[in-house]
Amino acid sequence: MTGLQTANAPSASIVVPHFVTGSLAFVVATILLYFSVDEWMTLYFSPKLIAITHILVLGWGTMIAFGALYQLIPVVYETSLFSENLAKITFYSYTLSVIFLSYSFWVASFSNLLFYSSLLMFFSLLLFIINLTWTYRIRTKNNIQSRFISTAIFWLALTEILGTLVALNFKFPFLNNSHLHYLKIHAHVGLAGWFLLLIIGASSLLIPMFVISHQTNDSKLKFTYYAINIGLIGLTVNWILFNYSYLSLLFGLLILAGIVNYLHYIFKIFKNRIRKTLDSALKLTFTSLILIFIPLLISLVILGKNWNDVLDSHWALVYGFGIVFGLISTIILGQIYKTLPFIIWLKIYQPFVGKFKTPLPRELYSEKILKIQMYIYLTGFDILLSGLIFKQIIIIQIGLIGILVAAVLNLFNVLKIVFHKLVLRQVQQPN
Amino acid sequence: MTTKYENPSQIELDIVENVLINVYDPEIEIDIVNLGLIYEVKFDGINQVTVTMTLSTPSCPLGDSIVQDVKESIKRKYSDMEVVVNMVFEPSWNHGMITPEGKRMLGMNN
Repeated sequence: MTGLQTANAPSASIVVPHFVTGSLAFVVATILLYFSVDEWMTLYFSPKLIAITHILVLGWGTMIAFGALYQLIPVVYETSLFSENLAKITFYSYTLSVIFLSYSFWVASFSNLLFYSSLLMFFSLLLFIINLTWTYRIRTKNNIQSRFISTAIFWLALTEILGTLVALNFKFPFLNNSHLHYLKIHAHVGLAGWFLLLIIGASSLLIPMFVISHQTNDSKLKFTYYAINIGLIGLTVNWILFNYSYLSLLFGLLILAGIVNYLHYIFKIFKNRIRKTLDSALKLTFTSLILIFIPLLISLVILGKNWNDVLDSHWALVYGFGIVFGLISTIILGQIYKTLPFIIWLKIYQPFVGKFKTPLPRELYSEKILKIQMYIYLTGFDILLSGLIFKQIIIIQIGLIGILVAAVLNLFNVLKIVFHKLVLRQVQQPN
Repeated sequence: MTTKYENPSQIELDIVENVLINVYDPEIEIDIVNLGLIYEVKFDGINQVTVTMTLSTPSCPLGDSIVQDVKESIKRKYSDMEVVVNMVFEPSWNHGMITPEGKRMLGMNN
């Protein structure tokens, strides 16, 4: 039966550790941000901020993305994951490498610990990429979403190669330009190549499914796919070989066109949706896509300028925090509740479906807590951003407290789902 | 072969109105009858019921659960019947198939 993907679903033991570890990493990163604010507001590229950034993008964002991807594979590729054992090994190796890598940045051990932890990270990501590439080879479906996700994985590989080269350069110097130059490329390939393509690929599949909207247009998605990829290739090549400002602006605008086109696609889905009432998870998802305008507007202003000047100003923080907290974290905080409850629900209730009255997947977590979490998080993010723009440490800290409260509530709700106990009620016999 | 069911169309109606109306799409949280997922219920007059149905999207990750729910729910009431679920995606499901009650539950304007 085409389309029935429950049989291809991965074991919960593959998916769940990613959601728990990721949610914990989000709490840890926010606490560290709070207590080191004096340092990173004085020196924008302090070792501590680089450490926290890696906890956020690798320990939180990518960790949840891995878990969600393992769960989405049956839907996107219409096949099961190539190897669950490899996924388990990848999880342990990857978690260790995030811890070591972040610690080596935190203590500024650039020439020793960073070298070894980068190699471990390289190995971990290689395992993930091998697993997903082999799954892609045995797929039975070829659609635009699978192309987005596969290309995102390619950019993840490139991000990792660039990161490893910079780490190697600390021990065996061989690169011509400053680290900031390569950091800029490393960050953009990771954010626009890995996260953005992944978010577009996954959300273009999930959002129409959850709001029930069939007014989708694949040609719009194809335009977005080519615009972002060509723009990113052009930007990367220009930065490595020429570094012309007008080329940066040109390719930046191409990426921007791809994103705006995608937002229009989502707007059409939103407008034509059948399900009018949105739960907090979907509200967070749509809000994250609106919040993408913050870094986009900043990037428009700074693209034509000298990036090294920008990287040395507080606008780099506004830009980076806008992407990490505005887009990535907001969409994750929403989509966790559209993925995790289903894998747990399938694990616990699949054998009892039809025989007993089972709870709905959304009843595995507290919608009330999620709603409170959403308002606190978005308020905290606004305050944080204002504090960053006006360089006010006390305001930044107030914003971070809000984000921390939201991160703790999220962890609580995730654990509530994970430790859910079987609840069955007898079905009333139809007359 | 004889059957204890004398009125097949009455059985089909009963399955739709009293059995499948209690089968829910776990994500959309609306029963599959009002959602318009049931295309046809056919009782052969002997011991087999064939349910022709669809999903709101072919990618629905809970499709197997819904099918299992359909089978088990019918067998709970008609334990001696064989239930066959015929999943089709042509014609594809669209919002015109939702009943007025389903639209009300979804918060749609009719």
